[in-house]
Amino acid sequence: MGLFSSVKDKLSGGPARIVTEEQVKEALSKVQDPDLHQDIVKLGFVRNIVIKGDKVSVEVNLTTPACPVKEQLKTECETVLKDIPGIAHADVTMTATTSAAPRETNAAVTPALAGVKNIIAVASGKGGVGKSTTAVNLAYALAKAGSKVGLLDADVYGPSIPRMVRITTLAEEGGPNEIIPPLADGIKVISVGMFTQASDATILRGPMAGSVIKQFLTQVKWGELDYLVIDYPPGTGDIQLTISQTAPVTGAVIVTTPQEVSLIDVRKAMSMFKTLKVPVLGVVETMSYFVCDGCDKKHTIFRSGGGERLARESGITLLGTIPLDPRVAVGGDEGRPHVAAFPDAPASQAYIAAAGAAAQQLSILNAQNSGVLNQFAVEWKN
Amino acid sequence: MAEPTENFRVTAITQADPRTLAIRWTDGRTDTFDVVELRRSCPCAVCIDEWSREQRLKPEDVPDTVRPVRIESVGAYALKIHFSDGHATGIYTFQMLRAMH
Repeated sequence: MGLFSSVKDKLSGGPARIVTEEQVKEALSKVQDPDLHQDIVKLGFVRNIVIKGDKVSVEVNLTTPACPVKEQLKTECETVLKDIPGIAHADVTMTATTSAAPRETNAAVTPALAGVKNIIAVASGKGGVGKSTTAVNLAYALAKAGSKVGLLDADVYGPSIPRMVRITTLAEEGGPNEIIPPLADGIKVISVGMFTQASDATILRGPMAGSVIKQFLTQVKWGELDYLVIDYPPGTGDIQLTISQTAPVTGAVIVTTPQEVSLIDVRKAMSMFKTLKVPVLGVVETMSYFVCDGCDKKHTIFRSGGGERLARESGITLLGTIPLDPRVAVGGDEGRPHVAAFPDAPASQAYIAAAGAAAQQLSILNAQNSGVLNQFAVEWKN
Repeated sequence: MAEPTENFRVTAITQADPRTLAIRWTDGRTDTFDVVELRRSCPCAVCIDEWSREQRLKPEDVPDTVRPVRIESVGAYALKIHFSDGHATGIYTFQMLRAMH
């Protein structure tokens, strides 16, 4: 011990060496955020540097708690800190403040959404691809990472979210023109299904359906949210247009199955978002493969590589490929989302990774879009 | 990467003078628009026939005195202008506004 520490002291310049905050910052500036392509000091992520003798502790505050490279960044920070002469122990705490899509706050067109930092559209070209299941599990994955999340079921004619998250109560009225969204595991949820009995069909003409969705966006008390996930109805119609005209949707996640017929409609959904200037964050491919419990072989039931091909040809990110797991469907029917019921199952892990990747894309987008007015209103003066 | 945005968005929107609207875009370009001209080129289904794309609105019917009352964003892709003559159905996409210059 004695000999070793004295050698170490000599190498590091003696035991009384005082490490400064500047040195710590300089060391940490070697760590780059892989997405934003800047060092974490310049990005303003580093906080609360405390140096006590040969111990240093810092807080690294990321742009999303769902950051997929969190652990990697933590390890990198610890490594560079321990390389500072005079530092033997480094304690790095990872925190996150979700970056918000930029907007003009004083002239919010829809004040109900003023506290919502990011709005994610989960859409698909056609029905039955697992869009609602994906929306629910993405929302749960984001919440699990520590974000404040809301979930809006925009499928007026086939609202399935209440069942999937086991909300049986009807929505409450908070006051005139104010709806209080019920909570499911801490997630604020709203759906047409909360205003009708489950077995009753919603029979509405287009304009009425649109006005219901408009109410969800303008009269629901969303409060402060990091992410509002909107489960779009399938297709490219009236409701989709209404949402995009009412809410400043930050980005869209497109859900598809691997077959070509599903992909054709996905391209249409992507073209719709292009027209509406909603950036596509990436594609989630569901029902990608089935792992046989007898032989552990991956069976690609609906062909393979569709999502990947789509991502490649359109240059957008493949956020995840979700394996088929019968428990996902059971969980949906019983109101226990897979991510909550079996967090370690492969499908849950795939959803969690996809949520992280989507959050990552949003952070990049928000960094690129700094200065952009998402909502504005100008009163003309004569 | 998120889809690259050749999609221009608004970074500033102001009233430049009594009849001029100024918009600064994400590429730094600033365009000015004569508000009377904007009213005359309203793209809504009342002013432009949806099938033939023929203009139904006679530009000369719009008086020079027309002014916006309020201009607001529509989603992330357009703006809507409430005019002093009560007309407010036109959705001016950023793409269309960019192309006017």
